[in-house]
Amino acid sequence: MVKVALIDGPDSLTGSEVASRSLRKIVWTRLRRDKLAMVCLFILIALYLIAIFAPVICGLLGVDPYSFDKESISDSGGGPVGTWGGISTEHPLGVEWGTGRDIFAQLLYGLRISLLIATTATILTVFFGTVLGIISGYAGGKTDAVIGRTMDLILAFPFLLIILAMSGVLTQRLTALGVPDGNPSRITYLIIVLSIFGWPYLARIVRGQVLSVREREFVEASIAMGASRYRILFKEILPNLWAPILVYATLTLPTYVGTEAALSFLGVGVLPPDTSFGGMLGNSVSYFSVVPSYLFIPGVVLVVLVVTFNLVGDAVRDALDPRAGRV
Amino acid sequence: MGKANKGLRLAAVGAVAALALAACGGGSSSSTSGGGEPAKGGTLYYLTNAEQFDQIDPQRIYTGEDLAFFNGTIYRTLTAYKFSPDAAEGTSIVGDLATDTGTATNGGQTWEFTIRDGATFQDGSPVTCADVAYGTSRTFATDVITGGPTYAISMLDIPTLEDGSSAYKGPYTGEGQELFDKAVTCSADGKTITFNLSRPVPDFNYTVTLTAFAPVPKASDTGEKYGDAPVSSGPYKIESNKNGKGGKMVLVRNDKWDPASDDYRKAYPDTWQVDYGLDVKVIDQRLLASSGNDATALANGVEPEQLGVIFKSPTEVNPEFAGRAISELDPYVRYLAINVQKVPNLKIRQAIAVALDRDALRKNAGGDFAGDYADGVIKPNMGVDYAPSGMWETLLGEKVADAGNPELAKKLIAASGEAAPTITFDYPQSPTADKAAAIVVDSLGKAGITAKPNPIEPGQYYGVVFDPEKAHELINAGWGPDWPNASTIIPELFTPTGGFNLSQYDNADFNAAVETAKIEPDRAKQAKMWQDLNTKAMADVVVIPTRFGREQRLVGKQIGPVYLWPAYGSWPYAEMYAVQQ
Amino acid sequence: MSAYVVRRVISMIILLLLLTLVVFILFSLLPADPARLTCGKGCTPEVLEANRHKLGFDLPVIQQYWEFMKGLFVGRIYAADSPSPVVCNAPCLGYSFKRGEEVLVLIKDRLPPTIWLALGAFFLWLAAGISLGIYAALRRGRWQDKTVMGISLAGYSLPSFFLGLMAIFFIVIRLQLLPYPSYVSPFENPIQFFQTMLLPWIVLAILYAAFYMRLTRNQMLEVLGDDYIRTARAKGLPERVVIRKHALRAGLTPIVTAAGLDLAGLLGGAIITESIFSLPGLGSLAVNSVNDADLPVIVGITLVTATFIIVANLIVDLLYAVIDPRVRLV
Repeated sequence: MVKVALIDGPDSLTGSEVASRSLRKIVWTRLRRDKLAMVCLFILIALYLIAIFAPVICGLLGVDPYSFDKESISDSGGGPVGTWGGISTEHPLGVEWGTGRDIFAQLLYGLRISLLIATTATILTVFFGTVLGIISGYAGGKTDAVIGRTMDLILAFPFLLIILAMSGVLTQRLTALGVPDGNPSRITYLIIVLSIFGWPYLARIVRGQVLSVREREFVEASIAMGASRYRILFKEILPNLWAPILVYATLTLPTYVGTEAALSFLGVGVLPPDTSFGGMLGNSVSYFSVVPSYLFIPGVVLVVLVVTFNLVGDAVRDALDPRAGRV
Repeated sequence: MGKANKGLRLAAVGAVAALALAACGGGSSSSTSGGGEPAKGGTLYYLTNAEQFDQIDPQRIYTGEDLAFFNGTIYRTLTAYKFSPDAAEGTSIVGDLATDTGTATNGGQTWEFTIRDGATFQDGSPVTCADVAYGTSRTFATDVITGGPTYAISMLDIPTLEDGSSAYKGPYTGEGQELFDKAVTCSADGKTITFNLSRPVPDFNYTVTLTAFAPVPKASDTGEKYGDAPVSSGPYKIESNKNGKGGKMVLVRNDKWDPASDDYRKAYPDTWQVDYGLDVKVIDQRLLASSGNDATALANGVEPEQLGVIFKSPTEVNPEFAGRAISELDPYVRYLAINVQKVPNLKIRQAIAVALDRDALRKNAGGDFAGDYADGVIKPNMGVDYAPSGMWETLLGEKVADAGNPELAKKLIAASGEAAPTITFDYPQSPTADKAAAIVVDSLGKAGITAKPNPIEPGQYYGVVFDPEKAHELINAGWGPDWPNASTIIPELFTPTGGFNLSQYDNADFNAAVETAKIEPDRAKQAKMWQDLNTKAMADVVVIPTRFGREQRLVGKQIGPVYLWPAYGSWPYAEMYAVQQ
Repeated sequence: MSAYVVRRVISMIILLLLLTLVVFILFSLLPADPARLTCGKGCTPEVLEANRHKLGFDLPVIQQYWEFMKGLFVGRIYAADSPSPVVCNAPCLGYSFKRGEEVLVLIKDRLPPTIWLALGAFFLWLAAGISLGIYAALRRGRWQDKTVMGISLAGYSLPSFFLGLMAIFFIVIRLQLLPYPSYVSPFENPIQFFQTMLLPWIVLAILYAAFYMRLTRNQMLEVLGDDYIRTARAKGLPERVVIRKHALRAGLTPIVTAAGLDLAGLLGGAIITESIFSLPGLGSLAVNSVNDADLPVIVGITLVTATFIIVANLIVDLLYAVIDPRVRLV
């Protein structure tokens, strides 16, 4: 639930001493040695590829998430014909109650939407969190205070409630602004609100980093040499922030996957005929005592997605900061 | 038949279609009167997912189940429906607060009821004509008494102002009181009440079964808040009521109620307890187990996943639940209204109707358990008013399969002289309704019609779709009659003065024919008129009827009688009992 | 110190005022017309206008805000000029015409299940999280450490609703170890209360404990490497004392911060857990109110929840000084 808040945390995220130039190489070498991480990275790449090529894969298997298969459901009650939610050669993971739509295809298309939302929202969060964090930390004074209070304000909001309450109106506003009606607007809305409620956590970390980096000799030297503010910010300070930002990003992405699923579960998801993990899990509630596979298929995929992301995130952190390592 | 769930409950009907599954046949083989003899005493439990009753104020109640419950327990009305599972008998009326079913004079334009001796309120004061008149007058205070039926306003002989509102503004402001006092008069002894109507209403004695015509003692009226502490005239009174999850309403015996004055209510249990805000799955599990207090508990629906556990088929109950479960046609017709202001071209409307896959929609709602295919807004269990409209056989040019006919739809679009339309489908959101929306989108898409789903929060649904600014082309809806006369269907759904005209239909010929039918005194002739109007509306494709709904219910092991009361499509609350041990 | 407290309290009040204003502006954008919802069928424009007036929605947002703030201190009378005015006593958080109840009363009614849920889960996760975290730190690098970290990873990777639904599926439906959750007050039926709360407590505790295990472990590792711990050990203090008296105390600060904020967040209602286990708490009230467009209730809950978090922030900061003498409040 309050998982976004959980990320705001361990001090181990900060304080990397690794020199910036060789950072990439060092991290990569360390990562390569971590077998579990490599397996997870491989799974993640596979999941992204599956998501991107979902239509092709479904096409090869002859399934699609939108066609109704009336033959596969019973005329009395609308439940799937056969065991395990109607698993058959035609429908590898069974069919949906009441419509006979293919679960496997829905799952692949759901993965697509989940990854699209979570990835984009993470990129935006990282962007705003970094920019505002640097500004806040570097400028100090009033700017810092304004950004700081804004962050306090955002963090004090019960974000799930606000997202639920505002979804209708803001989606309409987006449509009015020219975002295509329907799912594009809804997806954009989710991306925006996730980013809005996510950036302060990163901004705080970045701000702290900036404050400590600013005082270092090489920055002071640059200032003394009359370097432009742009140069100082982006050439001197930013490279020192990559470590915490990267770690934060890898750990935020799975959180967003979970949050997006939770929101869909509560009804603020994509519109039919499309569906997502949360939507599938939400639908399963009415039927899972009879057809448990409705619960477990999307649930397990969701967990695999989040676990592999978290493992990769952990590995990246360890590679960046051996002190906090798993040994 | 009974009262339609007009307001928010209807939203629930649409939204939780899973609750109101239905099916084919129209048979009622599964109805049984629960086993065992009635015992006097005990507590009956009413388990509900709702967090409160929509309304408790008698003038504001307007959903079938609630009317049945409160009419059976705390509000006596002039007339009331007989208790019987039989469609005809269960929708015929008897005198309740009145000695008989009333006397019509002046061609049905004047109605007289005589109030029974011995009827009292919970404080022991007698119920008089003045109390009934006062209760009736509250409906006119439309700024305070909201949500209830407005038949008093449309039927009583009180002039309307230019803006269409009544010249009488209700008892709180008293504006136009003399007009009301002329329309509703009391005899000198306070025993006889006379209603003067603006037109003949041959079945006005059915109208007064609504609790909107129930007595309210003027001294106890607190206006908007009357529902918090209403005065009972029935065998029970409200001891306590706490809304919300975990809350409950407790009804205890009203010791001032004299059984000699009321041969209508059996009043077996000592106490009624309504448990609010229970999860639907919890309700099912508790009733299935039927242990402890749940043995005398009832509820209003069964989740789809339990259907296979309880029923062998839509018309047959599994042996272990015999006498505890019912699967019956309910009073409702499910349909999609087409907003004719936004889709004025008849050919396009026909194309939408032809393209729609009603077979998939019915399957999604539960197949056989969800009901029969509908061919109009009048249901076969309406009796004389029903006749097949031929909608799917002839009205659309050729026979249309239940699964729709995209090719024919394309031809109709080509003949319309317009491009294939893009329309939006408004519906109250729920997982099942989301799937139904996907079916609408997909099946219309096959005919080249672009449909966009527009899910609306169930609690806000009717607030949105009744707003002409916000309603779209295709609107999910359901309707049940207020009493067994299509005068509570056709005018409500298809005329501008009706309260449920989601289609925004306004056809001068049609309106005139409705006015004629309303005042036709010969019931058989009137029935024919309603049948024709039903057919006319279908030919004009004002709505796409999808299902004559069926619903399933389950009760505990020691409660009876178990049948769906046709009057309201509800439990027969006033004669329910705990089974003698 | 006292100057610091005063300053913090003042900035907290400013933040709260700002927050109420933002909430008002945000919700004034909502499309659903709250007046329309109380109007029902047969609603004419005049009636609608009258209702809007009664609810105070005909005023400009800023004035609505002012009325609301005034209501907090001196109470409020809705529809004063109508035949049936509604009185909402101070502190008036608003009035829900949809439910016919003062918002404050509604929130008070729904608070107990939320508090029970939050407190129960809180103690469970602190106990499990901190003890396993310390254990893992002491067994650093060994299989015990890896197991604990594995549990932690699983814990925070499981979406709460999936975990909750699985708990219901296995424990309630398949194994039938517990009845379907159905909340009652612990004073009314303690057995049913525990049967109902057990799963939500465990589910929430697993989610949160996962984070606390890591946090505690990392803190301990950091602190255990510090000089004064080495000194304490060198002095020959028993390991138990070293850990409890020195290491834990020093490493406690971030744990207290996180715990305070998490508890405050939970007191605002765990929307998903409450909806899965059908607990009649603030979270489910919030969701229902969103569904009904019951604006006064949404505003009320948002403010109450945000207040919890802001106050918790302050308390946590003040607690720092008590726990960790190294922190100076300036």
